[in-house]
Amino acid sequence: MKLSATENRWKSLRMPAIALALIAVILYLGAQKNFGPVQYAQFIADGLRGGAIYAMIAMGFVIVYNVTGVINFAQGAFVMLGAMLAVTFHEMEMPFSPALRLIVSVILSIAATTLIGVLVERLTIHPARFSSPLTLIIITVGVFITIQGLALLVWGPDAHIFPSFTTLEMADKVFRVNGVVIKAQGFWIWGITAIVLIWLAFFFEKTLLGKAMRACAVNQRAARLVGIRFDRMSLLAFAMASALGAISGIIIAPLLRPSFDIGLNLGLKGFVAAIIGGLVNPVGAVLGGLMLGLLENISAGVTKAGMRDIYAYSLLILTLLFRPQGLLGAKKTAVETGGESRA
Amino acid sequence: MKNLSRLFANTNAAGWLALTAIVLLMGWIEIAAPSGFDFADLSGGVITMDTMVRIAILTVVLVGLNLVMGYAGQVSLGHAAFYGIGAYVSAIFTARGHSLFGVSQSVMASWQWPWFVMFAGMAFSTTLAYVIGKPILRLRGHYLAMATLGLGIMVYILFRENMGVQGDHITGSYDGVSGIPRLRVGEFEIWPISRYYFFAWLVALGVMALGMNLINSRTGRALRAVHGSEVAAQAMGVDVAAYKARVFALGAALASLGGSMYAHFQAAVSPSPFSFGGSLELVVMSSVGGLASIWGAPFGVTIILFLKEFLRSRLRVLLSGASGEHEIIFYGLLLIVIMIFLPEGIVIGAMKRWKAWQARGRKETALSEGGKA
Amino acid sequence: MNKNRLFVTFCGVVLVALLLAACQPAATEAPTAAPTEAPTEAPTEAPTAAPTEAPVGETYKIGFAPAITGPGASLGDPEHQTGKMLAEKLMTEGVVGPDGVMHPVEIIIYDTETNPDAAVSVVRKMIEEDKVQVVVAGTTSGVSMAIVPIATEAGVAYISMASAGAIVNDPETGAVREWVFKTAQDNYASAKWQADYITAMGWTSVCHIYQNSGYGNDTFKQATTAFGEAGITIAYSAAFESAATEFPALAEVGTSGCQAVVVGAIPPASSTVSVAIREQYPDIPIIHGHGTCNQDHIDLMGSDVAEGMVSPCGKVMVADTLPDDDPQKEIVTQYAADYTAFTGKPVNTFGGHGWDALMLAVNALATLPDGQDLATQRAGVRDAIENGVTGWPGISGVYNLSAEDHFSLDYLSLVFVKVVDGKWVYYPQEEWAK
Repeated sequence: MKLSATENRWKSLRMPAIALALIAVILYLGAQKNFGPVQYAQFIADGLRGGAIYAMIAMGFVIVYNVTGVINFAQGAFVMLGAMLAVTFHEMEMPFSPALRLIVSVILSIAATTLIGVLVERLTIHPARFSSPLTLIIITVGVFITIQGLALLVWGPDAHIFPSFTTLEMADKVFRVNGVVIKAQGFWIWGITAIVLIWLAFFFEKTLLGKAMRACAVNQRAARLVGIRFDRMSLLAFAMASALGAISGIIIAPLLRPSFDIGLNLGLKGFVAAIIGGLVNPVGAVLGGLMLGLLENISAGVTKAGMRDIYAYSLLILTLLFRPQGLLGAKKTAVETGGESRA
Repeated sequence: MKNLSRLFANTNAAGWLALTAIVLLMGWIEIAAPSGFDFADLSGGVITMDTMVRIAILTVVLVGLNLVMGYAGQVSLGHAAFYGIGAYVSAIFTARGHSLFGVSQSVMASWQWPWFVMFAGMAFSTTLAYVIGKPILRLRGHYLAMATLGLGIMVYILFRENMGVQGDHITGSYDGVSGIPRLRVGEFEIWPISRYYFFAWLVALGVMALGMNLINSRTGRALRAVHGSEVAAQAMGVDVAAYKARVFALGAALASLGGSMYAHFQAAVSPSPFSFGGSLELVVMSSVGGLASIWGAPFGVTIILFLKEFLRSRLRVLLSGASGEHEIIFYGLLLIVIMIFLPEGIVIGAMKRWKAWQARGRKETALSEGGKA
Repeated sequence: MNKNRLFVTFCGVVLVALLLAACQPAATEAPTAAPTEAPTEAPTEAPTAAPTEAPVGETYKIGFAPAITGPGASLGDPEHQTGKMLAEKLMTEGVVGPDGVMHPVEIIIYDTETNPDAAVSVVRKMIEEDKVQVVVAGTTSGVSMAIVPIATEAGVAYISMASAGAIVNDPETGAVREWVFKTAQDNYASAKWQADYITAMGWTSVCHIYQNSGYGNDTFKQATTAFGEAGITIAYSAAFESAATEFPALAEVGTSGCQAVVVGAIPPASSTVSVAIREQYPDIPIIHGHGTCNQDHIDLMGSDVAEGMVSPCGKVMVADTLPDDDPQKEIVTQYAADYTAFTGKPVNTFGGHGWDALMLAVNALATLPDGQDLATQRAGVRDAIENGVTGWPGISGVYNLSAEDHFSLDYLSLVFVKVVDGKWVYYPQEEWAK
């Protein structure tokens, strides 16, 4: 369907028009409640912080999906494990200073979660690698349920605490900028997310291993033909995803009071972020995550906080209806075009 | 697929009659309890009338889901939303109809009112599903799954948040709606539970027969064509979009019916069974039983519910001191195992293995039937 | 082919395990802790029999179903532990009926999974298969509401551990439900305490921030009523998500001009939101509800942040600082000691709800003469609870049950407490004035 030049011009104005309309609505609702720039700045700051967490979780989804084609419902479980294992290691007796103890427990937690991720891949995904996508989804659901059940058994239903990274205790250092409150932990979250993103970009662009993984994402059969071992790539993808999940869980643990059941909601939101970003590459995941966190928080702030999840999933539905390929995806991938399969 | 349909053509009717006979027999045993014997004793408390009624209700829901997922090939991770809509519509209008909407007391007290509400709920669900389905079902695979997931969660949140309105007079928020009356036909009340058992199974068997008829009809063939390849189906003149939306609507109607039956059975509804976890359980039951099979519905429900009951009552014998957490772990592990070893579901998987076992030792040629298993 | 062989072997193993399990009789939970206390809870048990000479009658059964898993697990776990704590003693010593016959009492424990479907299934099983004389179940209100019709139809007394008023009183007609009782203080009493404190401190305008859950919503509803009666204005109210890390709802606290913040939440949400409030508004007074009455609430936010926060609370949390003439002092101190010894964790008011419910059941069973049939026993238990509980000190309060009141825990069952040095301390009315 070729559009004329003028129609194309109108079409390209569509997205900006929607964005402006949305901002107008938000400002109107906020004005009802006498919100000033301080409140909006607070919403934005907090939303970007939450969004960064979604971004990390989404990156894990994207990597696994791209390389193996599996939608990994167990990603939320890795997030929970990262947080809970960090708590456990931190509570152990160690002859270190508090700062060192924190670092050691973080490293141990990431290592342990990655190990679990590898086990999950070998024991459940690998034997089922030729199954239909729905079967694989259900298997990952089974993994999630099992891990959550084990967590309940091991740690019980109570919530635990993890110290904030700056002060090494519960009360965090807080920056007040013109009335806007920003916790120090927020900077850790943004910083670590940025570092991870840069590292992943470098990994996928410049290293041979990264390029091999991208090859699997583009065309599995062709990748095999040039000698790339698919099962190794699958293993690596899961290892990376579980490590990323663990990191997300750890950096948000000081804010969250981790318990055995934090995995489901975070996992789902990360999933939504990945879809919004386009399931294509880590940059998309980050964009999707930030956008989700921002919009969800502002909308909940100007209306009713309990409706937060409705806004998040509405964003999902709208994305799927009007731009299913997400922010960075190619148009063809999402809509039914006649049963094209992935390699 | 061809082998399977030939296999099933004759056995379907026979199987249905057999199931009817089993249901009647079990019902009679529970009621009459000949020489003090009932199923609870036999199974050590696993099989009770309560379980059997739940199986019937969920079978109704699952036949719909199987049609949508197994035959039309559309993933639905939010089906519990329609189940919930049926339940809440029945609950609100039969328990709060007067205080909320001013329905007159005499109408509320009549025996026809709950039935009317039940069918109105089905009509509403069907329409909603059709309207939503048209745009959503254009999406493919994972994207459709995500859309149904998101919609399912949104409906659950609306139940939980009193439809977004302050207070809890509509859906009762977290505590839900209670005081739902029992179903009656004239003066005959479909209660106590033994009567409800026969009613629930009457509906379930009827729905199964409907499903089996549908599969073997022109619509059913069109559905299977769509599942196989949408392009090919379209080329043969099947209006793909319309069929998909219609099946989705039918699935919603059946789920709503099941929801209404559930509401009158429990006499109280609350949001938790209709969350994402609820939708997931439906998908699990469907997959374990067998997606592309109407029989997968009762089998899937039975296996999962029996499993849960069994774990509940027996696990503490296997591991002394065990309690709820162990059940969950076992459930998750079993899910993984079944999906790895029998991904087509127990019904079809069992049939295939049976055929393979039968065919062992026979010389395989390109033309023999056993060759494909 | 390997896959097939593996599968068949696996099936074989599972079948064998199932058969082995099926052949064993259903056992009850084996108690996991060694019996710890020698002193019995004196005011609660019927006179203990002389050791071996009393005739032994049939075993009475209490069906006990807290939420061991699911979202309500953090509330149900203390109830579960309390049940396990009582189970062994009840089995060996039991109760002695008015005719001197000793009946061991068995507590059969199930899990409702915080799910109404599972709860209904489990309660039906208790009533029909296990043939219990009384049902104690339901950690949360939604689950309890689902159990109500089952117990009522079967004619079995049902004691809930949840707080919604609708559990014992039909919301449409206001009539008392004949077969249902509950042992948790409700949010109206809590709100009244908060209103009294606010008035005493001279504030007229407050903000109410509540958790988006059944409990949180109810605290807001009751606060609206109670504060309205006391002439206090709620300048701003908002709900927040239980697992939230961002709290956009707090923005308006500053712009609304309220003088104090009332929070309706349970840990961990109560802790995270308190930290957020302190960060944005370091000086505003914070008042909590009685759902925060456990040590987790303080620990999860750190004692610095928690310092000075007040709330109404069940007496068990401040057992050692209660005045000596308080009728519940002895029993809450004993329970707190027993619970901590049994579980190694600090005592928790939810455990207290479980204890009250179970002991109400046990005391009712003690009134039954020997040799009755099941239906009569069940009716007898109901009558005993309704008529025989007057001025009975439980953990959650002093009970005065009657045909018009199946609940009776009111304002006086709570006390006001304050956090000092990371612990709850009794904070009586005399000390409130600034």
